[in-house]
Amino acid sequence: MKEGKKINLLTAQNTAIVLFFIGFYGLCARRNIIKTIISLGIMGGGVILYFISINHQPNSMPPIMGEVGIVYADPLPQALVITAIVVGISVTAVALVMFISMYHTYGTTNWQKVKKMLNERKNK
Amino acid sequence: MNNPVLLIVIPLLLAFLSVIIKKAGKWLLLVGLLFNTALAFFITTGETIIGGFAPPYGINLVVDQFTLVGVILINTLMLITIVVSFDLVGKYSIVLLTALAGINGMLLTGDLFNLFVFMEITVIAAYILSAQAKKYHHTITYLVIGSVGSVLYLLGIILLYNLTGSLNMADVAAKLPLLTTKELLVPVLLIFIGIGVEVKLMPVSGWVKGVYSNANRLIAPLFASVIAGTALFVFGKLFVSVLPVSDTLTLLMLIMSVMTFVFGEFAAFNQKRVKNILLYSSIGQAGLVTALFISGLVYAAVILLISNVISKLIMFTIAGAFTEKYETDDYESLNGVFVHNKFTGIAFTIAALSMAGIPLLIGFYAKLNILIGFFQAQNYVLPAIILLMAIVEGAYIIKLLLALWAPGKEGQVSEKSFAVEKKQLLSVKNTIICLIVALVIIAGGVLIDITEKVVTDGQPLLGDQSPSFTISQSKGGE
Repeated sequence: MKEGKKINLLTAQNTAIVLFFIGFYGLCARRNIIKTIISLGIMGGGVILYFISINHQPNSMPPIMGEVGIVYADPLPQALVITAIVVGISVTAVALVMFISMYHTYGTTNWQKVKKMLNERKNK
Repeated sequence: MNNPVLLIVIPLLLAFLSVIIKKAGKWLLLVGLLFNTALAFFITTGETIIGGFAPPYGINLVVDQFTLVGVILINTLMLITIVVSFDLVGKYSIVLLTALAGINGMLLTGDLFNLFVFMEITVIAAYILSAQAKKYHHTITYLVIGSVGSVLYLLGIILLYNLTGSLNMADVAAKLPLLTTKELLVPVLLIFIGIGVEVKLMPVSGWVKGVYSNANRLIAPLFASVIAGTALFVFGKLFVSVLPVSDTLTLLMLIMSVMTFVFGEFAAFNQKRVKNILLYSSIGQAGLVTALFISGLVYAAVILLISNVISKLIMFTIAGAFTEKYETDDYESLNGVFVHNKFTGIAFTIAALSMAGIPLLIGFYAKLNILIGFFQAQNYVLPAIILLMAIVEGAYIIKLLLALWAPGKEGQVSEKSFAVEKKQLLSVKNTIICLIVALVIIAGGVLIDITEKVVTDGQPLLGDQSPSFTISQSKGGE
């Protein structure tokens, strides 16, 4: 490798992978249900960022045909990502509705306390 | 008129209409289901291009014989489920119509990303339906596992897009031989796990118990036969025709499927509640079906899938009626319940015996095909496991049927007075429907040549070359 050229670690792909695993960590380690739902959002965000970054080329143009000799950007990921974002938002909305209903029943945001209450009810 | 797009569009249109006309929601659902079931019998095999862009750039719907069987079966099963539990539909008509659109989309689509979208539509509807039992923590568990599965599936198809430059199923399948196993390992496994959540494969089937065991007469058969059946059809399509992978990956997935099968059957043996027995048995059967698809025995897998979803429809409906009438589905406190409801009991028994693989029922024909297929492929390990598990399966089904038919505890002389108090389980209409479905199980097992003709229509499913058992073989001829 010639001098002056550094490996750029801060690419969109690497950020996406880190985001994905932050979400995964949150899912495994947090006991708060709200934080679980947020973690799901972060994971989804990581995947979406990965999708739009995989075929990215610097200085590419919007894919409007006409000119010759220009690098065009891949239009497919951008078209599909919109759908994925909308799907993600719907899932988050449903999750929050379910959480609110659960909160009215158990009065806690903690997974472990919910389980404890359930066991107590069973024993009664 | 027989355009397969209508199978997706009409239920969606009716779903929007039932938001506006809330009172007619139930009837709109019935109209949508009747329309879909009728149309499913008239669509022909072929490809439909949507939006005017030719594939691989545009989205297409692909109808082959495999999909056709799926569409007819799933729409009919959903119609039966809704007709049987029409009184419980209530506010859920919008959700059910959306689910119907999503299910048909999942079965028909020829595009991997499109499949993701339809899967999310179905799954979000399923989350809402699972909240019917008001056990919200189970719903949230399902939601979290399901969403992680969807995200993994999405990541899998993105990686596949990165490798092949296409999301069209046929195009991906054509480009797959150019890739090495090492490149395919991560995307295929991610897709496998993502679909596996809906199929109920073992490490990701933790949500099943909470959701199924609290579901009522409407939701339980809907989950166990309609949604699970759809997921298995999609699994078959993906892993037989789109991603036929190499030996290493096949072995990995086969081990997971077989472990699900063994775990499901043993767990079912241990349960006391009827619904728990049925749900673990359906996990086990799902594992067996996926194992067959991965091994390439498509015809046997489809027959097993059909026999299993039909049986589960009857059994979960009746199990739902137990909780409804007796407020328990513990089989020890339901001694002799079928003495009062003989016809309901007969339908349940036929379904259960078909699951156990008693001759003259379709379940036996399924098992026969599986064993013949494996023996002809000179695979002797899996048949041994399947036959061993058949003993376990038979044991818990006999135990269950004995408890439900014979009044009195073990060691007591059965007398009618020991039975639980008399209550009518299902209305006359529903009993007749259950009996007709049970008749289909018998007919499918006795008239096997007709069964084969109906399922395959003379062509191999997804290019499957495995043998199917016919009457002429039993007489010694080929």
